[in-house]
Amino acid sequence: MFEALKKLKYGARVLLSGRGGEAETIDVCGRPTVLMHGGDGPPFVYLHSTLGESFRWLPPYQAWAKHFTVYVPTHPGFGKSGGFEQIDSVEDMAFHYIELFDALGLGEMILGGVSLGGWIAAEIAVRWPERIKKLWISAAPGLWVDEEPLPDLFREMTDRKKVRERLFHDPQGYMAKLVIADHADEEQMLAAYQALTVLARLVWERPYDPKLAQRLHRIQCPTLLLWGANDRLVPPAYGEAYRKHLAHAEWQVIPQCGHMAMFEKEAEFVEAVTRFCR
Amino acid sequence: MQYYFFHLMSWPYLPADFDATCDSAWVWLPNHLYDPEKGADLYQNYIDTLAYADQLGFDGICVNEHHQNAYGLMPSPNLIAAALTQRTQRCKIVVIGNALPMYNPPLRVAEEFAMLDVMSRGRLVAGMVIGGGPEYYSYQVNPTHARERFREALDLIVKAWTTPGPFLWNSKHYFFRYVNPWPRPLQQPHPPIWIPGAGSLETIEFVAQRRYAYMGIPYFHITTFQRVFDLFREACGKAGYEASPQQMGWGVPIYVAETDAQARREFEPHFWYFVRKLMKNISLAPPGYTSPRSALAILKNRGTFLAEKHTWDEVEEGVYAIVGSPDTVRQMLDHYRKKLGVGVVLTGCQTGTLAHELARKSMELLAREVLPHVRSAQEAEVRRQGAVIR
Repeated sequence: MFEALKKLKYGARVLLSGRGGEAETIDVCGRPTVLMHGGDGPPFVYLHSTLGESFRWLPPYQAWAKHFTVYVPTHPGFGKSGGFEQIDSVEDMAFHYIELFDALGLGEMILGGVSLGGWIAAEIAVRWPERIKKLWISAAPGLWVDEEPLPDLFREMTDRKKVRERLFHDPQGYMAKLVIADHADEEQMLAAYQALTVLARLVWERPYDPKLAQRLHRIQCPTLLLWGANDRLVPPAYGEAYRKHLAHAEWQVIPQCGHMAMFEKEAEFVEAVTRFCR
Repeated sequence: MQYYFFHLMSWPYLPADFDATCDSAWVWLPNHLYDPEKGADLYQNYIDTLAYADQLGFDGICVNEHHQNAYGLMPSPNLIAAALTQRTQRCKIVVIGNALPMYNPPLRVAEEFAMLDVMSRGRLVAGMVIGGGPEYYSYQVNPTHARERFREALDLIVKAWTTPGPFLWNSKHYFFRYVNPWPRPLQQPHPPIWIPGAGSLETIEFVAQRRYAYMGIPYFHITTFQRVFDLFREACGKAGYEASPQQMGWGVPIYVAETDAQARREFEPHFWYFVRKLMKNISLAPPGYTSPRSALAILKNRGTFLAEKHTWDEVEEGVYAIVGSPDTVRQMLDHYRKKLGVGVVLTGCQTGTLAHELARKSMELLAREVLPHVRSAQEAEVRRQGAVIR
């Protein structure tokens, strides 16, 4: 089925996958949180990036749902999730999620995320390691590497061409142009501004957590670090930095791939995560 | 009607290849382009010019705060204001303003403004501002907290001036066990508070509710000013009082020369240096600095912003500057003052690369040939209406 779907254009595939996920809004200690879920099996929570790829049941979620009960929550402040006024830091995000997991009755779970979502996953795992059965992190910031300072997304954000170059190894590729179109309509511009506002709140003063490195040793569960070899937003050096503090972690690099492996190398990405989590 | 002389203290020596090599006059404009030797002469001349405005009879002189840029060389306007307290005798000294979220603790503003008020024997106007978008990049202050911090800091400062200390302060962003600034301001209960605004309804309503003065930042089309001041009067009405003209300031560059043609010839190139170089990237807006809806509105209205204007006809049509002979400037000022209903005009004469001599000539013509006529015309009008002139 998946092979057949791959041949279709992405939009058609999204439509087909859409049947798999159900959306609901859950109250998490006063923060209305949009959540999609689908599938059957051990609980598997996906935390999204600043692109906000949680608004639709996308093909990767559908693929994972064959093996797991997949939960895709939307962060406070993104889309229709509320409670942003309670969020000042990435630590607040971690507390938001542990409260969501409590509300869902999830004791132990597989947890993973991309970019910002991966960082939040790490922040949850260092605080409540006993809740995390397996952890996977892709293209996540959170640490700082002096030799490769992260670029200033807030300087480049209005230049769609530059953003596309930051996010994709091949900025001319079909998915690159689909995810970051040449022109945004009003609704897309508002969504982007809203998403970047959340990101700014979390990272403006300091685009990493200076305490994270010294806490990572608390993560003892099986861990996968998954990076695009040509990530120009959060370079593989950041994955290496996580690895330094997570000696037991698996390290996998996807060749010819930028920041958003999920879109640029979907098959490899989904396969790597599924193999690790099963 | 009051006329305040405004100085940005721009850097006039940007290199010829600036347009090609620099994408901004702000934040990341390489600072090797600043030459401290030239800077020393510049500060001297600019301060002399501001002091001259006092001698010429302007009601006040204005300085403001910008960081890491060529547009305005006063990262600390309070330092310039301090120098001006010793160079002037009569006029108001307007710091418009201190960008409150950039100060931590904001008590620093309460202290320095109180110092300036005492040093000037009660001539300070205390401007408080959120700070432009670029400042949030330069100081790495979180833009998503800008408005909250601004309001908390403003409340703290006003309370520090009006409530006997020491007292305890506790708000979301600030906690102080001992609020107790020495010195206290000389003007009681505190110096007048002016808030610059770029037209957001949020700021208009806030200033109206607090009964402070709203200073419309220049670079907008005259119809935008009209809308802003109408909204301000409406907001004051909603707050239960009638807006006083003194609560409304119109920022507009003015240049006066012997004839209309001469004025344009002398002024225009320097104005374009200002618009095309110094305003490059002034609209840099970090996410969260405004609400998404306001951000979209700003984006949609961008076409009416001066930085998007390319011809002198457009400048004249939108009244982005008033340039001409004393007679022309007189007529325009009188016309738009009445139309907008403002009681304060904030005007810069020294725009961009304009030479000190020309700036002073324009100031003299404005002070001697224009302002007395506009003032007496207004007084006559007030008399006709039977009002009492204070």
